[in-house]
Amino acid sequence: MQVVNKSLERPTPSAGTDPIVVEGLSKTYQVTDREGGFGAAMRSFVKRKFRDVKAVQNVSFRIGTGEIVGFLGPNGAGKTTTLKMLSGLLHPTSGTARVLGFTPWERNSGYLRAMTLVMGQRNRLSWDIPAADSFLLNQAIYRISDADYKRTFDELNELLELAPIIRKPVRNLSLGERMKCELAASLLHRPSVLFLDEPTIGLDISAQVRIRAFIKEYNRRSGATIVLTSHYMADVTALCERIIIIHHGQLKYDGKLADLSRRIAPFKLISVTLGECSDCDLTPYGTVVPSESNEASAKHSVQVKADEVATITARMLAELPVIDLTIEDPPIEDVIERAFHE
Amino acid sequence: MFILKLLSTYLKVNLQQDLAYRADAIVNMVMSIIGTGWDLLGLSIIFANTKEIGGWGPSELIALMGVWRLVNVMMATIVWPNTEKFNTGVRDGSLDYTFLQPVNSQLLISITRIVIWRAFDLAIAVILIIVGMTGGNVVTSPVQIVAFLALTISGAAIIYSLWITLISLTFWFTKFDNSVTIMAALMDAGRYPAQVYPYWLRALITFVIPIAVATTVPLQALRGELVDLQILGFLAIGVAAVIVSSRVWKAGVRRYSGASS
Repeated sequence: MQVVNKSLERPTPSAGTDPIVVEGLSKTYQVTDREGGFGAAMRSFVKRKFRDVKAVQNVSFRIGTGEIVGFLGPNGAGKTTTLKMLSGLLHPTSGTARVLGFTPWERNSGYLRAMTLVMGQRNRLSWDIPAADSFLLNQAIYRISDADYKRTFDELNELLELAPIIRKPVRNLSLGERMKCELAASLLHRPSVLFLDEPTIGLDISAQVRIRAFIKEYNRRSGATIVLTSHYMADVTALCERIIIIHHGQLKYDGKLADLSRRIAPFKLISVTLGECSDCDLTPYGTVVPSESNEASAKHSVQVKADEVATITARMLAELPVIDLTIEDPPIEDVIERAFHE
Repeated sequence: MFILKLLSTYLKVNLQQDLAYRADAIVNMVMSIIGTGWDLLGLSIIFANTKEIGGWGPSELIALMGVWRLVNVMMATIVWPNTEKFNTGVRDGSLDYTFLQPVNSQLLISITRIVIWRAFDLAIAVILIIVGMTGGNVVTSPVQIVAFLALTISGAAIIYSLWITLISLTFWFTKFDNSVTIMAALMDAGRYPAQVYPYWLRALITFVIPIAVATTVPLQALRGELVDLQILGFLAIGVAAVIVSSRVWKAGVRRYSGASS
């Protein structure tokens, strides 16, 4: 993607101040609790029982200017609840958060004009009108001058190729086209903090790649701070150096993605393609990983401790008819899955 | 200035949206004319058999019908369409974005959907009021006309505030849209002067769903039936209703938890 100009750039918060500071944030929902069946429904109608659900518990972290942080966790981990608190949609049960110096849930209009929340599973755009009309509504709502609007739109158009699609009613757009328009609508006011909640959900591979490239380029040009949740590891590996893992509402890991592999799964995969060898046994070298390839294939993988890779590789090369050998990190999906359950 | 610009942008976008459905627009206009004709036919049948209803003659009732239509324009143009949008938004979470806009959320949920064609009723309402006032023996002074206009606005504000309060309760009860349906049913009672109804119904449409305050009361001011203190009292109720409903809305928004992802 070619950089044409740098006008998306905006002043960043004063040096030394992290734009996102979260301390002991917790959110407990009260939900009605009843067993299934007609009798239970009648009893619940007369006397309602409530149960507390701790969606987020005592979560703290800081995010610096211009960082792209992956916010990961299984379904129901508390990711969306945290993003909703940080964007100002939900009031926490306890704890504090400062984003760009504002307390988000006070919904100060200065704050709302400086951030955006994009939810892949929700529509910001009106269904019956073309996206171009929704953009004009946003221009009025965010009080964007005609000159600023034109400049930002031209840039977003260049990055997302919006021109062919914004005149069609949104209901007639494909999912990928709709997400492009949703992103553009969310960025017209040039926010400096972006909360992206599964922005690539449901998109085909090529649309995912385009959205990913756009997010990266937007971050590069504008220096915006981005918090991203996604179930697609490709999003995370392409965009985020740092990840925060949350599970059952609790923070499990906050650090570099690369460090996570070393900490959670200190092993590597050695994949070898063997020549003529009917009785080769790989079990003495490490844990044999079931191969996805067909049985006729001569490629095998073993999992070994990271500090034994050199010794074991040397032994394999000496003892086996090796045609090809590669050393890889374990798949990130496996590492993160382990992190969830540690 | 900002609110006017925002309102005009929403009007434009809604107009564009409605222009996409031409048949619907034409049906809406025809329905307005048929509705008025039907109401006038009803009045002519009543007055063929009696000279007055609750002390009100034909011209005064035509004016009352005009005021009732005026309130109904507000209901049909913004209240009912936005109620539907709001109820869906609370349950499916699409209301999330409304609360993240740097604009008063109460204003935003009131103007998101504007059914322009129902504003055609506005012209009919004004014609009915003028015809009613000039056709009968309604004696009006400039003060009475000002009181009438102020009370009409205040009455409309009371009905709007009641609507805001009822939909705000959705934040506590998740599903509460039937309350607005009851409100809609009682709106019809405003077609006739409150005095024609039995005491309990009069109390209901004055104090609970105060459509009488929005229709009968302004015309009573026009007929010179209200003393200054009563006029000021009704105006104060209008202001109080707006303040209270706005507080209830804000408290409700604090409770909003959205739909789960």
